[in-house]
Amino acid sequence: MTRPRPGTLLTAAATLALPLLLRDDHLTLYVLLGLSAMVTIGLSMLMGYAGQVSLGQASFYALGGYAAGLIGVHGGPTLLGLLAAPAVAAAVALVVGVPILRLRGHQLAFATLALQLILLSLLSDATWAGGAIGLQGIPHLSIAGVELDRDIDYAYLTWAGVAVTMVVAHNLMSSRTGRGLRALATSETAAAAGGVPVGRYRLLVFAVSAAFAGLAGGVYAYFVGYLAPGSFPVLLSVQFVVMAVVGGLGTIWGGLFGAAAVTLLVQFLTDFGTRPGMPSYAPGVLSYAVYAVLLVLVVLFLPQGLVPAVRKRWPWPRLVPTRR
Amino acid sequence: MSEFLQYLITGLGVGCAFALIGSGLVVIYRVTRVVNFAQGAFAVIAAMTVSSLLGSGVPHGLAEALAVALAGLVGLLVGLTAIGKPGTSPQSALIVTLGAAVFAYAVEILIWGDQPRSFPGLPASVTVLGARVQSHYLLIIAASALVFLAMALLFARTDLGKALTAAAANPYAARIVGIDVRRMGLLSFVIGGALGGLAGVLVTPVQQVTFDGDVVLVVSGFAAAILGDLTRPAATLLGGLLLGVAQAMVAGYLSTSYQSEVALVLMLVVLIAQAARRPMIQEEPA
Repeated sequence: MTRPRPGTLLTAAATLALPLLLRDDHLTLYVLLGLSAMVTIGLSMLMGYAGQVSLGQASFYALGGYAAGLIGVHGGPTLLGLLAAPAVAAAVALVVGVPILRLRGHQLAFATLALQLILLSLLSDATWAGGAIGLQGIPHLSIAGVELDRDIDYAYLTWAGVAVTMVVAHNLMSSRTGRGLRALATSETAAAAGGVPVGRYRLLVFAVSAAFAGLAGGVYAYFVGYLAPGSFPVLLSVQFVVMAVVGGLGTIWGGLFGAAAVTLLVQFLTDFGTRPGMPSYAPGVLSYAVYAVLLVLVVLFLPQGLVPAVRKRWPWPRLVPTRR
Repeated sequence: MSEFLQYLITGLGVGCAFALIGSGLVVIYRVTRVVNFAQGAFAVIAAMTVSSLLGSGVPHGLAEALAVALAGLVGLLVGLTAIGKPGTSPQSALIVTLGAAVFAYAVEILIWGDQPRSFPGLPASVTVLGARVQSHYLLIIAASALVFLAMALLFARTDLGKALTAAAANPYAARIVGIDVRRMGLLSFVIGGALGGLAGVLVTPVQQVTFDGDVVLVVSGFAAAILGDLTRPAATLLGGLLLGVAQAMVAGYLSTSYQSEVALVLMLVVLIAQAARRPMIQEEPA
């Protein structure tokens, strides 16, 4: 276990203090940003280490949301729902991952996209899950009899979720498995020759990234209280890809900062676009344009992403000098 | 029987559109190794353009031709961003074209709004062997047949087509004999754009088009093209027709709600079956 760096502690303290200072609508943004960060961190690992593009990450977000939502609606303990969310998403990932992780590059991209379209279509037909209208009246999360019904509660729940995600991702990456994954990212043949079980490790990252997305979906379900297939469009998956690419693939901080940068930028433009005098289509047009321009510019001119590029110029100070 | 024939013809018509989009993907992939995610956007942009042009009094035929030309131009722009910068890997280029597709949303909403659009095609309906079908479906089939024939001639009989094939087969050797591989790549994007545009123009009179309809179109086109491993236009045509007919039969005899799953499930099955024949460990490019 490495000692945390000052930057990490500072970020943790600052984000922990932030909800106390925020207005209600900004708290909503804080929660949604954190949830996006959880999904993006997982996707960033998947794309960076397993070298695979997933255009269906929102389907795991949806699965987690529906698992938590259904348990909540049917009167089950909501804490169980929150735990079931990542479990269901990871289980589905394990099942579909066995056949589809044999696919590469564009094939996997289209396969994951197809899986999301199938899931959305199944959800709109499933009357037991609310169909196309959606699942309404999901209760708030209650832990040990305390109901989390204020936005600030969910802000702290999300903060904890992001923290768990980052710690799990960090430990996974600095473990033996993580070293194997990094070897796999550079050369599959060499990794396999060195004894890395390529298929099993790739499946593991897929399942872990799905679990992160599922957990985020579970929090989302209890926070918003309403789920519909329309809450998880293909564009949401694209948005997670944009966040992961902008932040920097394969970096944990990149997932967090990519999600933060894109969310804040889009929110700023939405505020700008909904000002009086702006046409009604302005927010949509602006956010699509921002996703597109950011994605293209970063892929072409900053292929490593924001965080690695910044770190290269200004390396973070460490409390204890580490040998490399 | 007449019911069956009706489903068959409508299926073939829609399948032709899938095949056109798929063959656009094939043309681009063969030359550049890039899977162009913005392929569906070409169809949407062309269809929306036709509806605007017809609305401002441009006659049928001219409006469609202009729209297809515009789609070719859009293809060139997408190609320039995707492969214009030297050293862009196909994987990065796929993500760039994804960005281009999202950018198209912004442009489409800005110009045409977010409501579905359509325009009239051939008005009448005809009776084929006792089955009444909209004659527009026959137009789609005829036009697609002509285009596929022209493509086959282009690739087999002209220097340009051979240069494209050469750039696809071995870019290094193609460069040695003086073929500008990058220009061929851009040209393939123009052809891909025009093919996508033609698909949109042909199919919109029988199926409304919305700005985000491109996802379904590109997935259907990909499903058609994957049967030919993304490299064989003839297999793509077959795949598209198969897909269109299968969808029409499912919609006609079972339920319209399973219609979209047909293409998706078929695509997944083909992809997984193809992958099962490959080794698990990826070969590295030399």
